[in-house]
Formats: sequence, structure tokens, C-alpha cells
Amino acid sequence: MDENEATFHSGGNGATPWQPRIIGFLCYWCSYTGADNAGTARMKYAPNVDVVKVMCSGRIDPDLIGKAFANGADGVLVLGCHIGDCHYISGNHKTMVRMPLVRRVLEGMGIEPERFRHEWVSAAEGEKFSRLVTEMTEQVRALGPLNWRERLHACGVGHGMDLAPWGEERP
Amino acid sequence: MNGNGKLKIGMYWASSCGGCDISLLEIGDKILDLIQIADVAFWPCAADFKYQTVAGYPDGYMDICFFNGGVRNSEQEEVARLLRKKSKLLVAYGTCASDGGIPALANMNSVAEIFDAAYHSNPSIDNPNGIEPRPHVETAVGTLEIPTFYPAVLNLGQIVHADFAIPGCPPQAEDVWEAIGALVSGATPQHNGDRRIGCTSRSVCDECVREKKMTRIAAFRRHHMFRPEPGWCLLEQGAMCLGPATRGGCGALCPQAGMRCEGCYGPAPGATDQGSAMIGAIGGMLEATTEKRAQEMVDEIVDPPGTFYRFSMATGNLKVAQKH
Amino acid sequence: MSETVQAGDHKASVDGDQPRVGVFVCRCGGNISDIVDVDAVARRLSDVRGVVCATTHQFFCSDPGQALIEQSIKEHNLDRVVVAACSPSLHEITFRRAVARAGLNQYLFEHANIREQVSWVITDKSAATDKAERLVRAAVARTRRLAPLQKRRIHIRPSVLVIGGGVAGLTAARDLAARGIHVTLIESSPFLGGRLAQLHRIFPTGQRARDVVTPLIEEVASNPNIVIHTNAELERASGFIGDFHTVVRIMPRGVSEACTNPQEVIDSCPEETVDGFNLGLAKRKAIYMPYAGCYPPVPAIDWRSCTKCGACFEAAAGKGIDLDEKPREVMIAAGAIVIAAGLNTYAPRHGEYGYGQFQEVVTLAQLNRMLDPTGPTAGKLTVNGRSVRRVGFMHCVGSLQHEGIHKPMRDGRINQYCSRVCCTTTMHAAEEIKDRFPGVQVYDFHEDIRTYGRRHESYYDHVCQQGVAFIRFDPLRPPTVEADTKGEFPLVVKTTDRLTFGEELEVPLDLLVLATGLVARDMSKLVDLYRCSVGADRFLLEVHPKLRPVELAAFGLFLAGSVQGPMDIAESTAAAAAAASKASALIKAGQIELDPFVARVDEHHCSGCKVCLYVCPFTAIERNDSTKTARVNEALCTGCGTCVASCPCNAIQQQGFEDSQVESELMALLAGKPPAEELLAAV
Repeated sequence: MDENEATFHSGGNGATPWQPRIIGFLCYWCSYTGADNAGTARMKYAPNVDVVKVMCSGRIDPDLIGKAFANGADGVLVLGCHIGDCHYISGNHKTMVRMPLVRRVLEGMGIEPERFRHEWVSAAEGEKFSRLVTEMTEQVRALGPLNWRERLHACGVGHGMDLAPWGEERP
Repeated sequence: MNGNGKLKIGMYWASSCGGCDISLLEIGDKILDLIQIADVAFWPCAADFKYQTVAGYPDGYMDICFFNGGVRNSEQEEVARLLRKKSKLLVAYGTCASDGGIPALANMNSVAEIFDAAYHSNPSIDNPNGIEPRPHVETAVGTLEIPTFYPAVLNLGQIVHADFAIPGCPPQAEDVWEAIGALVSGATPQHNGDRRIGCTSRSVCDECVREKKMTRIAAFRRHHMFRPEPGWCLLEQGAMCLGPATRGGCGALCPQAGMRCEGCYGPAPGATDQGSAMIGAIGGMLEATTEKRAQEMVDEIVDPPGTFYRFSMATGNLKVAQKH
Repeated sequence: MSETVQAGDHKASVDGDQPRVGVFVCRCGGNISDIVDVDAVARRLSDVRGVVCATTHQFFCSDPGQALIEQSIKEHNLDRVVVAACSPSLHEITFRRAVARAGLNQYLFEHANIREQVSWVITDKSAATDKAERLVRAAVARTRRLAPLQKRRIHIRPSVLVIGGGVAGLTAARDLAARGIHVTLIESSPFLGGRLAQLHRIFPTGQRARDVVTPLIEEVASNPNIVIHTNAELERASGFIGDFHTVVRIMPRGVSEACTNPQEVIDSCPEETVDGFNLGLAKRKAIYMPYAGCYPPVPAIDWRSCTKCGACFEAAAGKGIDLDEKPREVMIAAGAIVIAAGLNTYAPRHGEYGYGQFQEVVTLAQLNRMLDPTGPTAGKLTVNGRSVRRVGFMHCVGSLQHEGIHKPMRDGRINQYCSRVCCTTTMHAAEEIKDRFPGVQVYDFHEDIRTYGRRHESYYDHVCQQGVAFIRFDPLRPPTVEADTKGEFPLVVKTTDRLTFGEELEVPLDLLVLATGLVARDMSKLVDLYRCSVGADRFLLEVHPKLRPVELAAFGLFLAGSVQGPMDIAESTAAAAAAASKASALIKAGQIELDPFVARVDEHHCSGCKVCLYVCPFTAIERNDSTKTARVNEALCTGCGTCVASCPCNAIQQQGFEDSQVESELMALLAGKPPAEELLAAV
């Protein structure tokens, strides 16, 4: 069995009740450490946000957010250092420009704004992290599954012999 | 090659404007050279070919078939599958076939909204009985069938395997001729591992004569709002030029003429989602140093999905908007 | 220059060969296994393609735990390792080393955090187990894409540039030179000694500040390993760890050592101006020395007030005076840089507690000058020639500011932090006033008192016994200062006292001392030249307050003293000694190995669009104009990956965080089979 063929899925029709599947992109120096801080303090929060660690929030390519939604995420949470506290001086300034733009594109594509959240979490803000995770989980749960992958299949994407995008090898 | 030893070539138009068919003629005199070595086996835009004729060809009969336009309905899908079967090489010709192109912008609207605009609410429509096309209609003489309208425009590659793609809206004649030359000679055309031909392996910036001064964008300006300074990067001047995120091959025609690149050659090499690539690129280019100013500048951009995915909605990550 | 280290690794299969992954799930003595069913995680993972062994242990960080990992690598011929345990910030290095000991490249390792981010935060055991499984699957997916990496090795030039000639810079320079390292010390003002020279007596020893700073300066000035440039301004900088090139502009002093009669020369000057050293409490000449015994013992000309009348030139008989001296540039090459640029005291706004309105309102720094017997008032406590009978101290002026109460600073932010030194300085000054002027009544207005340091609390205890009156105000309703209408005293402070349950008080005073806080200097040039990280409080920001407290994120830069935040003298010297020791460790090693997570440009894909040049916070990317492609300077690259997200052609990849690696992790987290029947029915 491949790791990409696991038994979990984010569709709403499994035996167990549907759980929001949220991807959290976290910078290492502030937000990831903040998440560790929540753990050290034994703060309890929802299990629905799966963390992808990057060194700086400036590394969070908008492409990753699109890919997350397109491949089954019900929500995406982007966390970085507060403005002025970036370990890499100004990496988060790029995040500060990109994320509002990503939000506008997502809104244009009909993805509810509650499914995408972009916040600053410092290494000391474990409480904020745990609160954000739980809030995010609940606001996404209230919206229900996004099922973008299924939506694309319903529109015919992937019916061809090779899958979009270009560049994939012929099977 | 069958019978007379000449190549059999085809050209089909699906969801497209017809510009691609014209662009093929832009090769000029060379069309005569082409006819010396190739028979046109199928080209509905130029002559009267029937689908039945194509269906009657043996599999792989056509050596090269160019397919322009995206796939929006069941007829186009059926023909795409038919042509795939009857062609040795199926080439997505033009940006609609390779990335969805302008027609795929309609993916931001639901079928109901499109029908409403096309058959009811547009001011020029005269449709007192509110008739909409339906795939099956019972009439006195029997059942009439017309193609089913699909929920989205897809690029050719999502319907069938395409061997190569020639991007561009429309593709530039010289590049097309070069690609055809390679294809007819049986050689694998030069490509960058992504089977895109008739284009460069770099972005539009590579061909652009305008220089970056390394100044940051102070405010976004649309092209009717200012006269760009010559020789200076349009993006730095505040025009949302998609050059950095767009495949080169056009020779940077638009920026040369003072018009921002709208992205018609689709994503730059190495990238698949043109809009994300552009958003990533401009992330560091704004003058904004506060969140408030960044938000203000972002709010100045008109229609972000339509701007960043003008020609590549079908190969973007999301492809289709969610409409309730 | 950098080069690649050839570590002893054995073959590692990249794409093509099927990787052999070992998964090690730690119980952490119950910390993980009480919530996460680690056996189930290991069992489920053993079915994943490429996973050759999946096992658990009580503590993988223990010696037997690490031995098990090493043994498994050899036994199963593993070429990828995933350890699911605590946060990578704790034991990533431990496990990388274990992996390396087994002969595998240490970067073919991935750490899944299932303690801090799973077992300690999730209560539902089944949800926690599922989440742990997802995270480990994602880590496995990521490792499959990993490639062996080599650390970068940089050679280090054996010299250090110290920026700042205050107590921290002097200490750092002395310590570095004592280890035989060549030091260049630059100071922007004409004299060494910084703020310490301005102080009067310092806690907790009660020594005269001058008695501390003078021997330190002498030690530095006499050391042949140290070159000192005063009046030196940063001009340009280039280079990177091991090989920084800094150009400083030496501003004209106007006077050289050839001047043999400095005091006569100073006396000859007809121009008087505000004495900055005495904080505006006195006047000085345009050609001046701040205090007797200063270093260099050579006067300097203050060009803003000098009229070039030539009086000094005549007094010196032309020796050592050059009124037309020009600035000159000096290039300093250094392997490391110690930044000891110091800080400023908060300048109260006009009208803040009457400052600027009443001559009787002064800052704590000014009081310090007044208490100095060699200072402007010759140590007398007088204002306008009148002896002081009652003095008040106002705490937290410019510190612990509150949103809505205090006006923001120029950058729009308020100073929410505690300046740390002002409380003890206040107690120390109050004690001295009580000792030297027993008749003077002392009032202390505070929101809070933090005499936090070792032996600091005793000052508080002592002044309590001496009869200083403490009044605790409500920070949201700070005291007001007005002219005393009864005329007996110049000032009256009106406040409520929380110690007496909100009693309204009016305290008439002769002198109000504002315990002004400490603020960062304007370091924009320094920050810009060396790419320093700056905190929200405007002070320079260390990599980690506990793990790497005196290092900046940009390699080869070390923080000494209060450039990093408010510190007292003891803390500044301790920080400076730490910075010097860190810098000398680097210099003495002669070379350094850096993490290999740097960005690389695929020149084949690069279109030369320059987008990455805008985003690099460390100016590590340059464009080769002949090939029209970008290139990353690996010695400058700190591995943030910002350029990766900006490259529209995906021509830049960050080693260890390549798109394919991050994406495979993402896809594994989102793994799921779409229900097939539904899809087929859809079209």
C-alpha cells in the first residue's frame, strides 16, 4: 500500500463521522515553536490541523495552498512570525502580501473565506495557536466538507489518459 | 504515411475562437511546402469533412493532428477521443487546448449562470419563450440530440493523452513552423521535459527588452491609467505584467508595445499553476511595509482570478469555481 | 569561500531505486504511548510501500534507543530513517548523529513530532493515534524524496570587527584580543566609554562608574592586538561569515595627538554649546573633551558649533589642529562581527509629566550627572540655585506603556516592555540622596517595582528603612504634574495611591525625576548593511533567547550587550563576554560547517527575471548578466526559502525543502481515495 493510498479520506460518506481535514503551514522559528509551546503547556485542542513545517512563512508558496485545497483539504491555516519578529528579517513581509492575494483568489473561486486563515503566532503564543486550531476546526466543520477533488472529477478532470497538469509522464 | 506516401495531417477546433486556425495559415507561403509533403485529412474550418469520414479511417491514420480549443461539451470530448484514436501524434494547439485559455474563464461561473447570461439576461438576447438548449428534445419527427454542455472547460490533456502542446493565443507562426518541421521530420521537437513545443524554455522576461531597476511597486495601475516609460519593466511601473510567470516564445510582443503581458502562453516552465507563481513573485515586489498598506494594494487589483488565470484556469490547481 | 564537505556516507538511493525506510516510533516513557497507540502506528506503517522496518522503543533518545536505530540501519540496509518522537527542536540533532554513526547521510532523516503536537494536546486516544499515523506517513513520504546533503564549510578570517566603544564593545574587544585575535574597534562618537562613562555610581558595588570604565579603556587602548577608530561611521559592507568587508568613514576630529596643550586650546575657544555629555545641564566649548581622563586624551571639534575662527589653532601654535581635515575611508576585513552598538534612553515628550514645561522635571540620567561631584552641579542637589527639599521619582517613563494611554513612538508602536534597569537605578539614587542629603524627603511614584537582579532587592529594603515614601499609581490613570498654586514648591504631583486603597494625593515637590526607560537606537544603517533581525521592540533579535542568545540569524554576527535589549552594566559585560567567546570559538576553529538547507538555482530553468533578488533578506542572490541567470551565494544564504516561493519558474529549490519534498508530505497528509463509483457517475 502506498502512503498516498491511505484509508482515510475527507469525503463525508465513510463509516466514521466526517472530520475536517485542515493543513497548517507553519514557520519553524515562531509558529512551530508556538505549537510546541502549546504542547509543553498541555493545552488541549482539536486534532484536525496537520502541520507542515517550513523554515520561514516566506517559503509558503501560494501553489502549496492551491494544491492543498485541490487535493482534499477542507481548510488551510498559514502561520508565521509577527511582523517585525521574523527570524529572517523580512520573510514574513512576503507572506503579508501573498496571503491577502491568495485569499482574494480563493474567494473568487468560491471557496468560503472561513476555510483559509492567515495569522501571526509567536514562539510564546501557544495559547493563541491552540485557540486558532480549535476555532479553525469549528468554523470549517460548520461549513462541511469541501470535496474539491470530487468536484474536479465531477467536472471531468482526470478522465483523460494522462492527468493534468502537463508534465506528468504518460502512464 | 498511407497511400501516396504523403503525411496525413488534421486540425480540429473545439472550444475556441478560430484564431488558431487562422494562425496556422500565418505560416504564409510555407503552407504550400506543407501541402507538398502532407495531405489534409481533416480540417473542418477549412473544408467540409465529416466525423464519419474520420471514424472510417484506420486507427493511427493521421500522422499529426492539431487540436485547438478546450473541451466544453460532449461533442468535443467525443471528437477528442476519436482523434486520439485516429492520430499517431495528437498536439494541443494553442492555449485553449493546452491550458483552457479564455473560454476556461467561464469556469468561474456555474452552468446556470452561463445559460442565464447566454439565453436570458444579456441585453441583446431575444428569447421571449425563455428557451434553453437541452440535450434531448422529443419532437414530432423523433428525438433530437444536441451535445451536452459540461460543467467546465478542460484542456485537452485532461480528456485524452496529448503528445505535445503548442501554447500561445495564438501560437506564433515561426514557432509553429519550426515545431511542424520537427514533427514531420519524425524528430522529437525540442522541449523542456514538459512536452511543450513552439515556445522557449524560459519565461517572457527572458525575451523582454525592458529592464528592471530593482524599484518596488508603489501602486498597481491598469493600462488605461498611465503611459509606461520605455525600457523600464512594466511590473515595476505598477502594471500587472504576467511576464515572469508566463512561458516565453512570443518574443515579448506585448511588453514591447507597452502592453503588460496577460499570460497567454500559459505557465512558465517549471510551474504548473500560473496564478500562484505570479502571486509568489509579486509577494516581495510591493513597496508596502505594513499589513494595512499590503491589504490596500492587494485590494487595488481588479479581478484577481481573472487576472492571474486569464489563460490557464484549466491547468491551475483549482480549475473550477465553487458555486452554490 | 565555501566548499562542500565530503562526509563519509554510503550510497543513498534517490528517485529510481526503491528507498528502504525505517520507522521508529518512540513511547517517550508513556508521554506519547499513554495517548497514542504507538504499536498500532508502527503496525500500520509497516504496510506502507518502502517501509522495511517499523518499531517502537521506550526512549529512542536514550543510548539503547539510539543503538537500536543504528543497528536497524545496518541490519535492514536502511537508507531513510523516520523517528516519531518529541519536537525536532529537542532531538533532531541527536537522531541525525545516530543516523550518521550508522554510516548513513544524516540528512536522509525525518523527524515526526508526535509528542508536543499530538500526545500532549489531544485527549481522544483514537484521534491522537490517527493523527500520529498521518504525520508519520507524511514523514515517510517526505523521506522518500530526500537526497543526501553535505554541510557547507566556510573558512574564517582570524580577525573581528567590534562595533561600539561602550562597556560591551570594550569588554568584547579586550576578551577577543586576550585570545590573540586581531580586533578592530569602531566607535561613532569621538570618545570611548559610552554610557557607562556618563554614569555616576553603579550598582550593585556602589563603585564610581569612571573607576570601572577607565581601567577597561586603558586595557583596550594599550593592547597591540586592538586597533581603535573613533568618529567612525559605517559606510558600506559586503561579504559574509568568515570574510566580511566593512568600509567605515572616519570623520575629522580636527585635533591630533600633536596638540600638547589641550586644556589651553579648549579654553581659547569662544564658542559655547550644549554639553551633551552632561545631558544639557551644562555648556561646553566647540572644541572639547567630555570629562577629565577621557580616551583618547585628545580634544575633538564639534563641527556643528565650530565657526572655524582659528582661536584654537593660534592657542596650539598650529600644532595638532587641522580645521580643514577631510573624512577618510578605512576598509576593515573581519571573519566575524560583534555588534555592541548600545541603546538610548527614552526622551520624554514635551509635557510628559511636566518634562520640558518645568525646569524642575529631569530624567534619571540627568540626576545621575547632578549627583556626580565632578558633574555640572558639582554634586549638589540644586535646581535653579535652590536646594532641593523634596524629590520625587516617577517610574516607567517610556516603559510598560499601555495602548490608549501612551502615545506611540515614531514607528507607531508603544514600548510595552520593562526597561529593567530603571527601578534599581532609582532605588540606588534614592539611597544616595538619603545618605548624602538626609534632610531631603523622597517620594517614589510607581506602577510596579522590579528590583529583579542579584543584590538589587537590598536597595529597595534599604530605602524603605530610610523612609522613602512609596506611592503606587494606577497605570491606566497615571499621575499628573502641575505648578504648585500654593507657591511653596514649584511642582505638585497629583495621583491616587493604590497602597492606601485609592486615596487621592497631592505631593508638592522641588524636583521630579523621571525614571526614563531604555530604547533602541536608530540602527537602520547597521541593520541594512549586515542584514540584522530586529524585534518588535526595535532591539536586535537573537536567534533564540536561550539556545543561541548572542547570535544573529545572519551567520558570523554576534550581539554584545544592550543593542539586544535593556541591560544593566553587569548584564552587558556578561553578554559581551559571551559574544566574544562565541566569536573567538568561531575564529579559533578557522572554519565552520553550516546546515545545507540553502537555496540553489537551476540555471537551465532560470529566466533571469530578478524576482528573487527583491525577496532575499540577506542579499544572497545575484544575477549574472552574461548568462542572465541568478546565482545563490551559499555563504550568505540562511535557508529561509523565501526565494523558492517567489520564483515563478520554480527554478530555485531549497535543499531539504524542495517542492517535491514538501508536496509529497502534503499529499500524504491529504491522502484518501475518492469514492470511485460516484466519480464515474458524474459525467
